[in-house]
Amino acid sequence: MSGVPFTSTAEPTLPPAPGFWNSPGLRRFRRHRLAVFGAATIVFLTLACIVGPWLLPYTDTFIDIRNRFAPPFSGPHVLGTDPLGRDILARLLMAGRISLAVGFSAMAIAMAIGIVVGMVAGFYEGALGAALMRFVDAMLCFPSIFLLLAISALISPSVPSIILLIAMTSWMEVARVVEAQIRSLKTREFAQAAVSFGASNRRIMIRELLPNAIAPIVVAATLNVAHAILAESYISFLGFGIQPPTPSWGNMLDSAQSYLTSAPWLAIIPGAAITLAVTSFNFIGDGLRDALDPRMDGQ
Amino acid sequence: MNKPSTKASGLALPALHRREVLALGAGGLLAASGLGARAQGKVPPPPPAKPSGQVVVGLSQEPTAFNPLMPGIEVDETVWMQIFNTMWLAQPDGSLVPDLAAEVPTEANGGISEGGLAWKVKLREGITWHDGTPFTAEDVKYTLELINAPGFKARTRVGHSLVKDIKVSGPLEISWRMEKAYAPYLALLSNTFIVPKHLLEKAADPNTAPFNGAPVGTGPFKWGTRTPGDNIQLVANEKYHGKGPYLEKAVLKYVPDQTALYAQFRTGQVDLIIGTGIPANFYAEAVKLPGRKVVKIPSASLEVLMPNLEHPALSDKAVRKALYASINKQAIIDIVFYGLHIPTESFMPQESWAYDPNLPKQAYDPALAGKILDDAGWKRSGSGVRMKNGVPLEFAVSTTTGAALREQCQQLMQQDWQQVGIKMAINNMPAAVIWGDFYTRSKFQSLLVGTAFRTVIDPDPAHRFGSDAIPAKSGNGANQMQWQNAEADALMKQGQETFDMAKRKEIYQKLQVLVREELPILPIYQYAPVEGYKEGLIGYQPNINARQNTWNMGQWYWAK
Amino acid sequence: MIAFLLRRLGQSLLLLLIVSVIGFAILHLAPGGPLSQFAAGGDMTQADLDRIAEQLGLNRPLPVQYVEWLWRMLTGDWGLSYRDQQPVLHIIASHLGATLELMLTSTLLAMVIGAWVGILGAIRRYSLFDSLATIGAMIALSIPTFWFGLVIIYVFSVGLGWLPAGNRYTMGDGSFLNQVHHLIGPCIVLALVSTAVWSRYMRSSMLEVVNQDYIRTARAKGVPERQILLRHALRNALLPMITITGLHVPTLLSGALVTETVFTWPGMGRLFLDSISYRDYPVVMGILMFTAVLVLLGSLLADLLYGVADPRISRSGR
Repeated sequence: MSGVPFTSTAEPTLPPAPGFWNSPGLRRFRRHRLAVFGAATIVFLTLACIVGPWLLPYTDTFIDIRNRFAPPFSGPHVLGTDPLGRDILARLLMAGRISLAVGFSAMAIAMAIGIVVGMVAGFYEGALGAALMRFVDAMLCFPSIFLLLAISALISPSVPSIILLIAMTSWMEVARVVEAQIRSLKTREFAQAAVSFGASNRRIMIRELLPNAIAPIVVAATLNVAHAILAESYISFLGFGIQPPTPSWGNMLDSAQSYLTSAPWLAIIPGAAITLAVTSFNFIGDGLRDALDPRMDGQ
Repeated sequence: MNKPSTKASGLALPALHRREVLALGAGGLLAASGLGARAQGKVPPPPPAKPSGQVVVGLSQEPTAFNPLMPGIEVDETVWMQIFNTMWLAQPDGSLVPDLAAEVPTEANGGISEGGLAWKVKLREGITWHDGTPFTAEDVKYTLELINAPGFKARTRVGHSLVKDIKVSGPLEISWRMEKAYAPYLALLSNTFIVPKHLLEKAADPNTAPFNGAPVGTGPFKWGTRTPGDNIQLVANEKYHGKGPYLEKAVLKYVPDQTALYAQFRTGQVDLIIGTGIPANFYAEAVKLPGRKVVKIPSASLEVLMPNLEHPALSDKAVRKALYASINKQAIIDIVFYGLHIPTESFMPQESWAYDPNLPKQAYDPALAGKILDDAGWKRSGSGVRMKNGVPLEFAVSTTTGAALREQCQQLMQQDWQQVGIKMAINNMPAAVIWGDFYTRSKFQSLLVGTAFRTVIDPDPAHRFGSDAIPAKSGNGANQMQWQNAEADALMKQGQETFDMAKRKEIYQKLQVLVREELPILPIYQYAPVEGYKEGLIGYQPNINARQNTWNMGQWYWAK
Repeated sequence: MIAFLLRRLGQSLLLLLIVSVIGFAILHLAPGGPLSQFAAGGDMTQADLDRIAEQLGLNRPLPVQYVEWLWRMLTGDWGLSYRDQQPVLHIIASHLGATLELMLTSTLLAMVIGAWVGILGAIRRYSLFDSLATIGAMIALSIPTFWFGLVIIYVFSVGLGWLPAGNRYTMGDGSFLNQVHHLIGPCIVLALVSTAVWSRYMRSSMLEVVNQDYIRTARAKGVPERQILLRHALRNALLPMITITGLHVPTLLSGALVTETVFTWPGMGRLFLDSISYRDYPVVMGILMFTAVLVLLGSLLADLLYGVADPRISRSGR
């Protein structure tokens, strides 16, 4: 699991931007080679997963018993075949669709919930804010796997329920980050100025404060996707993840367990895919953090 | 002493005669011959004079219930069999031998009279509990009464609820009456372990007595220690009334994952794997492991597709026939299970005395399936899925998550049925969800399960097929398919009421023909699990009539 | 100080209450129940199952069951497991040792290696070592730990035979050396994520410290570099790290669960998994509360240590 729970809560200072591609932030990002590599990898993976299955000769569901357990690079199947003779590359890409979709969707939902809760708590403070943050703290008391496991073991596994489940267990960090940001931004001059115009609370929150809190939110979002993809693989490993015949990187890894000695590529390939995707998102997140927070210079 | 009974116990289970042994396939021969002891082909060394050595048994579920009268799962029996005894015990060949009883009651020896309404049992002399107290008929009376005691969480009262007027006429003689003749009771008692009256009656509440955490019985092993979540250690009962024990210690080791369990068997950390055993995909490799003996054992469990007969499509017999005709059983067995299991047409295991070997054999014939459906009015629609009166031939198959090989099986079936115009969806869930209301209240559409259809060792399947056994219709049983067939009900009732073995056999063969025709379940194969043990272990003997193959662990020992 | 502790205690109790309500609701409202395991067997009839359900009190309305559970909890009675009727606290305690052993040793290993890697990386910033270390740490954080564990088992245990394939000790040989032998695999796997986190934090912490004025002064005064690093920089860089440990508890527990599954380690993670599978409600609730307490204690410890380490931090926070 991503063990990097904390994002920077420092105040971002965005200077007036000359143009998007030449903005200092993006320039710093581009200097961060790993982050660029990460971004490129993700773009490539996403495209491959979306377009790839149409370009391949085999589908992911075609069962071809005579060619089961073919090792990679040994014949027409580039990455080999699985115990039912299905083409692994095709399965990998279809599974990638699911895993990436789960990752992005879970992130979207987690961000939505986290931003709303964080904004409301940070803006209104007082009793409502305290109550909300107490609730967030309570949810954070459950080690994430425990929560994931408890809920996933109790529901019927399906793609939407897994997405919801992962989102339910990862919105809290986002809420914390947003709450801290909003709380500090509230005291800044531009916010006070908006109040003095008579702007409504909602307008202040959404039009003034939120855009200035974007930096840590974006970083949190990227790390959230990484976490979601890993979480999906963990749930599948424990047996409660996405069910066949829908492939996901996690359940491909899970069903490869008993064949580790006889057909190790069945486990290595999806494991490598997960690692590659998650590492890329982590690099991007790192790069974004460095790019958007100039105070952490010289790192 | 366990005297092997030379005459058949007569009643419900005769010894397997030679002719019948030859009629069985190789699997049956393995079972009947007791592969373990005879595999070496030479005479095994004699057992040690004093109990010595230990055996580590690997289990993929953890035993947690140690009171044999309270609810437990199959793996708990592994403990019960060592600590406790029953009045009689089923042998691999189907005969019953007396254990705590001096002889098995039959109509011939007067133990069972009045057509099954009066029972009398003579118990063996000289048996003591692990704490030294002598075993008497009072313990048997106490056991039977405790099961029926309101407030006691008894595992099952089937059969026991019919017992009344228990009389102890002497320290080793007990008799009782039954409310009605119930032949399977003999089999049920072979799985009813006797508990000590002097310990349990002292407890304020037998449900929470300290006895339940440190059981005391009459069996070959005594309770040693338990490390929850890891292992249970049992020690030899040197004053055991039967043969053995020859081992000083028996360790029941819990390894939750089958693949990990196999890995530990390979590396020697466990001496023996039983129960669900070695996964099929490791069989080829396991057989070649040096220093290990790996055997296919007979099992009474069958893999069946269990349809919910209230489902609009599945209620149509033609649909079930077509489904059955388009399952490629042999391909599934060969591909997914490496040819290990045995295709079957009956709900009874081949080794059963009531098995009918002449049932019509299924052949994989998608063309025939298509014809059956066409004739019944299920025509292909635009999408390729068949329809009749607006009802699509579409249903879901559910099984427990995490069973990799079963999932492969489902996917093969899905593909085969798709070609015939049947749309099958896979809807798997965790075990606790599937076996909850989803199963018991028949909320499923169809299930792919491995289960047995007998009452302990008795072939009577009334609780699975009777129309009064449908829980979703307030019945009391396990007829989750919701099958209602008057002819079957009549046959099963007759089978329960007579103790005449020949008559019962005839009845059950008629029942098998009926079930094969009506297809309330679609039998796919009979399980042939793979168990393994370290070379040098003597005494291990698979027993299809025992819950676990540690049934005779008291007689195991290591060759030096 | 007392006021702070009291306030934290109050907040923690409130949190525990919320946790218990959420946990209880999720558990009981979900499909399936503790009797599912018996229904699977096929021996017990519906009447038997219904009778047992009644005796376990499962048919009462949920709020009633919750209040009863809460009341017993407050009086110290954590209930009895549905599976073996043993007291829940007993069961948790018997599994706790194994998990603590794993968590402590892996944390130590992670601290030592992570700190070393992080410090070296900070000193030799942008060198090859540093780049490799950073990439390595990233990958370590992105690998599914169970996959890593499986690979370790199959390479070092089934393949080379150097390590045992699981368990805490070999039956019949409970010697200390044997236990250490069994600890190696799971410890390394659990330490993977922690090492990566530690190394990254140590690196950034060292970098922050190294740029401080007092370090520059020491350099200007001619103090040998080694002494600067070891005596001044390191100590100040380590302090904030120690406070992080307390906050790391939830991640550690999560990792422990997965590691215990792969290595069949009889700890709390394993217990939690089994209890959930069998719907052993009392044990599941017990573990949830227990881990919540652990997590709260960890964060309290972190806050206290942070305050001690840096007295500038005021405790008027929230």
